[in-house]
Amino acid sequence: MTRAEAVRLVAAIAQCEMALVRRDAAAGPLLAQASRAAEGLPGGDLLSAAARLARDLDLHGRDRRDRARRKATQALCRAAAIEAQARAMAGG
Amino acid sequence: MRRVLGEDAADLDGAAVSVAELDALERSVLATVDLPRPSAGIIDAHCHLGRDADGHRLSAPDLVEDLDRHGVASAVCFPADDPGPDGGFGAVNAAVIAAAKRAPERLIPFCRVDPRADAGAALHRASDGGARGLKLHPVAQRFALDDPAAIGAVRLAAEFGWPTLIHAGFGARPVAEATRLLLRAVPDARLILAHGGRGDARAIAGLVGDDERVLLDTSLATLSDLVLNRPARLCFGTDRPYGDVATGLQLVARAAEVAAWSPDDVRGVLGDNLRSFLR
Repeated sequence: MTRAEAVRLVAAIAQCEMALVRRDAAAGPLLAQASRAAEGLPGGDLLSAAARLARDLDLHGRDRRDRARRKATQALCRAAAIEAQARAMAGG
Repeated sequence: MRRVLGEDAADLDGAAVSVAELDALERSVLATVDLPRPSAGIIDAHCHLGRDADGHRLSAPDLVEDLDRHGVASAVCFPADDPGPDGGFGAVNAAVIAAAKRAPERLIPFCRVDPRADAGAALHRASDGGARGLKLHPVAQRFALDDPAAIGAVRLAAEFGWPTLIHAGFGARPVAEATRLLLRAVPDARLILAHGGRGDARAIAGLVGDDERVLLDTSLATLSDLVLNRPARLCFGTDRPYGDVATGLQLVARAAEVAAWSPDDVRGVLGDNLRSFLR
């Protein structure tokens, strides 16, 4: 991963994380976009899985199953974000 | 397996999530985590028990199961945002203390108060019950950290010999200046600023420096914020149930690599720094 790729991912994932926290409908499209940006890169599998989970996510669901799916999506995003930040800070 | 990424596998399965895939992804993250562990064990500085007003919830048995799954020795735990009808957190503080009595080697109970809701009485009740620290959430309870009532609560906590853990992340007002005022008003306070001070990270890093009265927990922090600080001023945290243990450990591992922490630095972050903070 180059530093530019890492920085792009850091920015893209940060948008996804905030959209998920705010339960914004943009979360799914943003994750799909971030997942495409991460294809073939370290952490790409995490974002790909997160994007798939986000597709049918009920962001406002209060049921414990909805919450578990949302939290798992957030955890996968977080893992990808940490990896991208580390690559960006290490110089790619 | 019953839990993965901090969530109940049955709930994930019920939400049409492939638990096996999620488990494999969690394992792939943990496979990148190679951390020297403190001899007395890892301590998680930041866990909520009970049910939060926003729907998040975590029971003590589920928390202990998460700790076991990841080899974490113990956790500081305090109530979720569930102040009760009188706003005093009485019932949930009692519940956390009772949970810690059932798992005394694993759970370290802190009490949570709204400083403006008869906090003195609540703190005395919690102290009598066996609490070992105070949690303040200026955003959820809508008070300023340098409010006289908040200063009073921190002063009483210091008199008990307790540290005070303060939310310093999402939604926080500027925290650094208020923290400086708080430390001036209560010079013997010991503060744990949550989330790596994410809400005001650069200013907080400048404030904390080498001040041994302040630790920053790593829960849901950003890597770039954490490495602004000396590892001696950091302690591991997850913010369960908002965060999870696997990515919490991953964050520490990547910070250790980026900032070239020594093995002793890492052991300090994972437990020894907080252990010396708790009395």
